[in-house]
Amino acid sequence: MKKIIATLVIALCVVGSAMAQEELSYERKQAIDSLALEKVRDLSKYIKIVGSKDTPFSEANRVIDRAEELFMSDAEIGVSSLSSNKITYYRVRKYFEHLMRLNYDRVEIEWYNIEYVSDLQRQPDGTYVGVITIFQTFRGYDKEGNLTYKDTTKKDITVYVKRKETQIGGRTIGFWDVLLGDMRVKETTNR
Amino acid sequence: MKSKITTALMVLLAVFITLGGTTSCKSKKRLAREAAEAEYKSKVEQATKDLNAILDDETLWSLEEKEARVKTIKDWNLQNDEVDKLLLKVEKKLARERAQKEEEERSQQEEENANTTLEKNFASIARSGNISQANRTINETLELFESPDVPVLIIIKQNATANDYDRPTTIEKYLNYLKDQKISPNKVFEIKYNANGKIKELELIKK
Repeated sequence: MKKIIATLVIALCVVGSAMAQEELSYERKQAIDSLALEKVRDLSKYIKIVGSKDTPFSEANRVIDRAEELFMSDAEIGVSSLSSNKITYYRVRKYFEHLMRLNYDRVEIEWYNIEYVSDLQRQPDGTYVGVITIFQTFRGYDKEGNLTYKDTTKKDITVYVKRKETQIGGRTIGFWDVLLGDMRVKETTNR
Repeated sequence: MKSKITTALMVLLAVFITLGGTTSCKSKKRLAREAAEAEYKSKVEQATKDLNAILDDETLWSLEEKEARVKTIKDWNLQNDEVDKLLLKVEKKLARERAQKEEEERSQQEEENANTTLEKNFASIARSGNISQANRTINETLELFESPDVPVLIIIKQNATANDYDRPTTIEKYLNYLKDQKISPNKVFEIKYNANGKIKELELIKK
């Protein structure tokens, strides 16, 4: 019996030690927190560029490719409107194509208050998962320059951060792969 | 009789004084010669010791200090075969070290210039007011690289063991990223060149 208890204690110590080693230092955790926020900010610029009627078609398509790389392959983006309670979810490319085709002469999209609503938490498979909330103000203008539509939408974006390795120039590079998941509409107002 | 004795004594005294003076003079010369010989011997020993230490990399002297030491030893003009042979070897070694140091300084200068050029171009792309101007600078910058697909690594956190990186990208995508985001958030950390002097790998770090 004593032997079994001793073995269990040793096993627990080994497991505990291994788990402790996997814990990131505060500074490293901060670095990946910032990296994930940066990706969301990057996305906000891409949405702005694609939404702008001044952006040439080829540039918009290139930017859509970059934006797609920010997301997980099956991620969806929610779109809402003040005129309906329905929230439509689009795959990332479809969302951007929809954004390009919006029937306004000029569009302004601003993202602000980008912050974590749920901190990155380590999952059993080693992936860190968190939720970042953003506020988006959308303004649509007609050809006379009149504001014809405006809304502010609160959206939650799930972020997944996973440690990966790749070979570059004959050496192994450990990197943090940040991927955005679904972007869910939380509320839409006319503010 | 008394006068003869006095004369003899005087003569003897003169002889003693003359002999004594001559001996003293010879002794001084001998001492001086001995001192010179000792000094020469000491210099040869010191020169041999220093030159061997330089040859065997057993000194903490900088290249400039080693060169100054060799100059001092040469100025001594010791005309000693062993020292002369050592001097020849040391001068060849220091010439190699000097060439290597100059090469390192030259590459460092080139790298600093390249860093500056790259960072200026990054800032210029990010600041560009229009897409055409940004694309022109992107194309100019791409000329410095082996190909548009050259990997770009971005360090997000330096650690004692291995650094943490963002997902690797390519130089073409990175330059377009600067154009799209209108910010240049990273600075050059390391550049690797191919045999043709084109950049084959770029490592950046968060500012």
